[in-house]
Amino acid sequence: MSLARGVFEVRNKLGLHARAASKLVGLASQFPCDVLVRRDEQTANAKSVMGVLLLCSPCGTQLTIEAAGDDADRAVQEIGELIQNRFGEDE
Amino acid sequence: MSSDPPHGRGRANSSSTPPVELRGIPGSAGFAIGPAIIVGARRAGLVLRRIPKHLADEEVARFEAAVATASAELREVAEKLGGDAPRAEVSILEAYVLMVGDPSLHEDVERRVRIDRQCAEWALDSAAREMSMQLQGSSDAYLAERSHDIEFVADCILKALSGKRPSLSIPDGDEPGVLIARDLSPAETVSLDRHRVLAIVTERGTRSSHTAILARALEIPAVVGAGEVLGRIAHGDRIVVDGLHGRVTINPSPVALEEAERRARRYREMAQGLRQLKDRPATTRCGTRIVLKANIELEGEAAIALEQGAEGVGLYRTEFLYLNRASQPGEEEQYQTYRRVVEALAPLPVTMRTFDLGGDKLAFALPIPPGHNPALGFRAVRLGLELPELMLTQLRAMVRASAHGNLQIMIPMVASLTELFRVRQLLEQAIAEIDARAQARAERVELGTMIEVPSAAILADHFATHSDFMSIGTNDLVQYTLAVDRTSRELARLASDLDPAVLQLLKGVIQAGKLKGRPVVVCGAMASDPLSAVVLVGMGLRELSLEASSLPEVKEALSRVTLEEAEDVARLGLAAQTADEVETLVAERFAPRLADLLEP
Repeated sequence: MSLARGVFEVRNKLGLHARAASKLVGLASQFPCDVLVRRDEQTANAKSVMGVLLLCSPCGTQLTIEAAGDDADRAVQEIGELIQNRFGEDE
Repeated sequence: MSSDPPHGRGRANSSSTPPVELRGIPGSAGFAIGPAIIVGARRAGLVLRRIPKHLADEEVARFEAAVATASAELREVAEKLGGDAPRAEVSILEAYVLMVGDPSLHEDVERRVRIDRQCAEWALDSAAREMSMQLQGSSDAYLAERSHDIEFVADCILKALSGKRPSLSIPDGDEPGVLIARDLSPAETVSLDRHRVLAIVTERGTRSSHTAILARALEIPAVVGAGEVLGRIAHGDRIVVDGLHGRVTINPSPVALEEAERRARRYREMAQGLRQLKDRPATTRCGTRIVLKANIELEGEAAIALEQGAEGVGLYRTEFLYLNRASQPGEEEQYQTYRRVVEALAPLPVTMRTFDLGGDKLAFALPIPPGHNPALGFRAVRLGLELPELMLTQLRAMVRASAHGNLQIMIPMVASLTELFRVRQLLEQAIAEIDARAQARAERVELGTMIEVPSAAILADHFATHSDFMSIGTNDLVQYTLAVDRTSRELARLASDLDPAVLQLLKGVIQAGKLKGRPVVVCGAMASDPLSAVVLVGMGLRELSLEASSLPEVKEALSRVTLEEAEDVARLGLAAQTADEVETLVAERFAPRLADLLEP
């Protein structure tokens, strides 16, 4: 079992809204490992769109992604890329 | 929908229930009259049942089954919408599917059932409420509004829990009616039988919410986002729905009912003619080309403008972005909204007017008192120049939106050239700031003056020199020229668009534009009236911007009149001494020919 961790900044203008959150959750759900999203003191299951949404993360928020289990490294890496690519939004 | 006197449950003539008029958002165009069919006030009936420990497993299973049903329902709708719906609509439905099956929600509900011994409905409602409150507390306005998404998802599951079939079946014996609901689930909307459902009125929703989109696709008139209506409408009340303007009348007076029936009939006739009319460019009978654009206020109206065959938006009122809120709308929010409007219309032009509000309407700009006479007070460009940051923010958002289509900026209530010069400086500053950030914009952003204060009309020569275009706002121009408060019903007859004094001012502006080679447009209510529109064309105007709902009538009216006839009447009108004379003249010449297009 492996552990992985990365810190990423939300860069799309609208922040982590419903559609962006659902992309993140969709991606996280493809991995067998447990994935958490942390913002300050708040932690959410990255496979729960409500949980992720409730982190209320506007543009500029620092999010920590933590994964534990199979494929943890790849999960953190790919989720990080999604966040950095502004969830595929134009800005 | 017949003109027979209402019978059965309809209470149109009931003197005990005074007529009530409500405003909502125009969701889907069209008129309808019929008895109200109330569709569940779901949450009002919610009660907490205690679940004994030994039944907890069953209750959790009931919740899981409801989640499966709701999720299947949403998936089905997403599929049905398929390629037709805008990308964003499909992806929001996909997000709803995820939210319905969300593990955190599931955990929270299960905990409430097992530990707090709540029934599934109560547990779900409390869990959703808590989540949505948490979101509402977000400092980010956009995220705060997402709390609706959670409420919507909870509603979908609640409905599935109630065991009701998702489709709305109206008993066969009932006459067709107007559906009144808090909101309709996508599946419910899709399953509506358009022969039984005359119209839809919902408390929730926006023009881009699923109810409105589907209602338009089904061609069922709809008013959405009408606020608290369930408490005000009883089953069987006679309801008039005007989906074009977003109006709902409950128990109309016999006179209003007759008027509504006439409108409904006319709308159906127009709608039929409209299909052929829509793609035909507007011309006079002799073939002179007239450009007809639409006035819009809400983002969603851009689509209506296009449906009605508008060749652009000649007046986009941006005020609504500023109303009913505690903080000024940020540049980003404005940019996103403007951009969507510009993109919806591209390559057709959109003329955006900077905010035209009094300080009294802006909760966040309070230091400026409204004054005793708001029409003459601190508003529009005056407020913008007093609070330059407010105006700069809007100008930056507009400049950025210009990158996505064809956008022009127009300033309201300009009374002196000094104001125009100062706004031009602000615009240049906004452009410089956008360039400094290396953000995209159109190479050139045109700045026009709205001519609605008589001083600007009198100095039209100078304004033409310094404006890229001029747009005449006839409503205010009439009010200021004739010193008549246009909100006063008693004085209304004194405020004629066709007053010779008004026509003289218009003539001056049109001539100044011609002389300096600057386009002149009319964007006031005057252009929406078929008779006045003919006069405007006769005076030399070739571009009018009007309410989208009047576009087909005006287009049709112009096609029945030759330019020579219009010019003749304009000439006589300009020489007349009183408004009565002009009105009589215009009515004699054109009313018989245009009778079917005129309001009574």
